[in-house]
Amino acid sequence: MGKIFDWIDRRFEISAPHRRFLQRPVPPDLDYTYCFGGISFTYFLILVFSGLLLSLYYVPSENNAYKSVLMITNEVTLGWLIRGMHKWSATLFIIFIILHAVRVFISKAYRPPRELNWIVGAATFITAMASGFTGYLLPWDQKAYWATEVGTSMAGTIPFIGENIMYAIRGGAEVNGNTLVRFYSLHVLYLPLFMGLLLWFHFHMIKRQGISEKL
Amino acid sequence: MERRVFLKKIVKLFFLLISLIIAPVILYIYPSKIKQKKLFYIYLTDEDNLPKSGLRKFDYKYNLADKTIAGYVFIKKDASELTAFSPLCTHLGCLVKWNNIQKEFICACHGGKYDINGDVIAGPPPKPLQRLPLEIKEGKVYIGIKLYGQDI
Repeated sequence: MGKIFDWIDRRFEISAPHRRFLQRPVPPDLDYTYCFGGISFTYFLILVFSGLLLSLYYVPSENNAYKSVLMITNEVTLGWLIRGMHKWSATLFIIFIILHAVRVFISKAYRPPRELNWIVGAATFITAMASGFTGYLLPWDQKAYWATEVGTSMAGTIPFIGENIMYAIRGGAEVNGNTLVRFYSLHVLYLPLFMGLLLWFHFHMIKRQGISEKL
Repeated sequence: MERRVFLKKIVKLFFLLISLIIAPVILYIYPSKIKQKKLFYIYLTDEDNLPKSGLRKFDYKYNLADKTIAGYVFIKKDASELTAFSPLCTHLGCLVKWNNIQKEFICACHGGKYDINGDVIAGPPPKPLQRLPLEIKEGKVYIGIKLYGQDI
């Protein structure tokens, strides 16, 4: 590697413990369908990156959320690009997670000892869907409002405790400014942190167990 | 070229391309509209109307973005020196009025008082009244005001 990296590495000693992982042999005849997981992770990185940039201008308040989204789209230099990156990466993220899961399913890569990794992967998918649901409200336009109204009312159909769960999700009897702040917090703090943890589990097990051989 | 070396170069090129994203990111972070006030000179009155001594209030008008905006300033003549005071109270920006009996500028909002030189004599204002630049050209008096507008 380069001189600067070597200087850092002599002190930080990061490359040696990763060499076994980065330069390990992989099963023969892997094809491009084995890239879906990596593509999903790349979309996750783009989402984190563009989301951090969007958070510089987005205002999660009842009166200013929509205005700030309009400002990002129309006034901020390249704001439309960053917002577009976030939106499309979110869609493609979900699509590639599904493709990844299908590939794992078809190649029977969920079999022992990889069952736990399948479970963690399913949890990742649920977290991604939750991020999508909470992020959908943030533009605070009509579509976002009514989608959340319908989505959260589904929780109300659970027998006995449904209503209470719905109130807890909405932060009140109906979707309002409290819901927006709640969803914003979930979308930018809780869910990404949880997702990071899950991905660490996921990659740790891949590192330990290796990629499953082709059938 | 050996395959491994080739792949390493490709990966390095890939990371170099990723690092180029720093340019649009800086453009994005940098605020797109930076409002800065500029000094504009606005016609106030003819030189003949200026007070020989003492203080007089002058109204002015200007057009900004299809709106007519009116305001006023106080001009004080003292020996041969002309001073223009902005009527904005330095406390919270209310308009002060000249009281000719007490010989004071009085702000009705929180009771700020200034003497004829614009210095604070009572109340909450932290600073004396702002003095505005004056310009006299060919018998006409212009007052300098800082505005956000592009042109008037």
